[in-house]
Amino acid sequence: MAGAGFGEPAGRRPPGSPRTVTAVGQAGPVPRTSSPTDAIRPPAGSALLERLRGHGTARPAVDPGLAGGLRDWLEDGLASVAGGAPVDTGPVRVTKEALTGVLMCEAHLVARRTSPRAVTVELARGSLVDALFRQWVTTGRLDDAWSDAVGAVRVDGDGDVVDFLDALAPDASAELAQEVAEHGAGIVERWPVPSPTWLARTQERLVVPLVGGRVVMSGVVDLAFGGPAGERASVCVVEIKSGRRRIEHRGDLHFYALLETLRSGAPPFRIATYYTRTGELDVEAVTDDVLVGALQRVLAGTVRLCRLAAGTEPSRTPNGLCAWCSALPECEPGQARAGTDVPRHAGGAEDEDEFSLLVET
Amino acid sequence: MTGPMTGMSLSLPRARALTDALLAPATDEIAAEEITHLRSQLAGDLAALVEELPVGERLRLDTFRFDLAREHPERCSGADGPFVPSPRVCRRTIGLSAMARCVRRWSPTPAVAVAEVLAAGMEDATDDGDQSSSRPPWWAGWYRGLSAGGRAMVEAEAVTWATQLWTALEWDRFAPPPIIGGGDDWWDCPGTRVLTLRGRAEVKVRSDGPPALLVVGSGLPPSDWRSALGFPALVTALARGGKSTPSRVVGMWPASGQVRILPVDSEALRDTATTVVCAVATWVDARLEAQGSRVA
Repeated sequence: MAGAGFGEPAGRRPPGSPRTVTAVGQAGPVPRTSSPTDAIRPPAGSALLERLRGHGTARPAVDPGLAGGLRDWLEDGLASVAGGAPVDTGPVRVTKEALTGVLMCEAHLVARRTSPRAVTVELARGSLVDALFRQWVTTGRLDDAWSDAVGAVRVDGDGDVVDFLDALAPDASAELAQEVAEHGAGIVERWPVPSPTWLARTQERLVVPLVGGRVVMSGVVDLAFGGPAGERASVCVVEIKSGRRRIEHRGDLHFYALLETLRSGAPPFRIATYYTRTGELDVEAVTDDVLVGALQRVLAGTVRLCRLAAGTEPSRTPNGLCAWCSALPECEPGQARAGTDVPRHAGGAEDEDEFSLLVET
Repeated sequence: MTGPMTGMSLSLPRARALTDALLAPATDEIAAEEITHLRSQLAGDLAALVEELPVGERLRLDTFRFDLAREHPERCSGADGPFVPSPRVCRRTIGLSAMARCVRRWSPTPAVAVAEVLAAGMEDATDDGDQSSSRPPWWAGWYRGLSAGGRAMVEAEAVTWATQLWTALEWDRFAPPPIIGGGDDWWDCPGTRVLTLRGRAEVKVRSDGPPALLVVGSGLPPSDWRSALGFPALVTALARGGKSTPSRVVGMWPASGQVRILPVDSEALRDTATTVVCAVATWVDARLEAQGSRVA
């Protein structure tokens, strides 16, 4: 993007930037960054670090006008719709979950927001594994995975998850403990403890205000390392997933790349998703295409979120989550998709593949 | 310097720009008479206000209470509950101790320094009755009682916080080295024994002239960021006056990458003093309301 015109008037596509970008609401194909052998044996130790560092690849130069240009583009696209949102209810908050939800089905997002929060085994597992990973990266020690993870969540975690764990039946608790122990063992086996000189930060919060604070984009990065950028990009961002590999995870990661760019003035040089269940590692270089695609997806989603905040009737888009939607009894398109008007309950089936999309971490 | 900070926030590397801001020479020095006059006026206003506090109650207006009164006054009546430690509450204290080690070159990185600070705190908290050991920091007893997983979260929070501060400045450019944390400034309001103002800054940059302060915030800068940055400068001016009054306060919000700079002049101090009076009034009302609820 260097010299590509991000200092030009706001809201325009920079000259020379590609027309083919990630489709709105879809994250596109998962990149093949690994050989067939890698797919069988997940990267570990120095091989994992080399993938993250992009061994042999030069760090890209930072275009000093890039972040400002992206911000202008977003502000330009949101200025008219953000003004319609009520001021007294606070800013329109844009998170990865809100983006995925609003682009999938506005009515489902609204229904989720008005329903009591459902903590599932998947969500609890995600919180526990996140804590284990954080502990490993910070201290280089995991003693008893279950005890460590529960201890961490009790001190620094989500109260709903703690309540969920406390209410688990002994069998279910033992099963979850076994699962968490397997994730922990995989982390210890494959993840080298980063050198202190890598300046690793865990659970780093990113907040980007737009349109005078009427829109606030935010996220929490599981792991970031590398010092702040000067002339060259220097930060790597890693997302940890305890669930199965999904194409939609790329959208989350691209969103974080955009947030980091807007926050720090320079894009990360690498973004990655690490799957603790299998050890799979998807690594991607942050190119201009990635950022432009992320921006377009964010813009499309945020416009919808602003309209919802302003009171617009949510649109209904039948999708794989209709079966679990609390608004299903009143939603004809959803009933047609789900084949019933009785919503399923989270955690009621062994393989709720679609539902896990929104509850895994 | 009080204009939009976009120019600064976009220049890379940011640590250079932020360090420049802290090292820039002072533009104005506030006359001692002005501070004396402000102190006298503020003491009169505040003493009259706190006379209404319920009998036996004291008010310590620190950064937390000052922010709460401005941003969420409705929460003040229920905000005086017991102190509950957590990784987020401890991260600043532990992070500052770690940063002090890094700046003195006792530790190579924030991660190493935080581990050393925690280990020392544990040791101090364990040495019951040993007169030769130092007094443990306030968090040490709580930390010692945590599980391994809980301790790891404390360490992780502190490492992240300290690393953000460590990478925010070009530390080698400060001569002499800045004070990291250091003692807070306290000002007991004359004419009353029930009100104390307490100001704090994460970094104090010393020079031949007035010092400059760096304040680290969380999330986004508040809309009245001038008051937030003016508060530690005002308390320093009231407590010490003269050349101790900071020339400027630089605010940094790492989560959002935002930076604000407040040049400290007479106007900035007067504006902040007005906001302090409002904040104290809010807290007095909240205490009276809480007392009314208890009686009812």
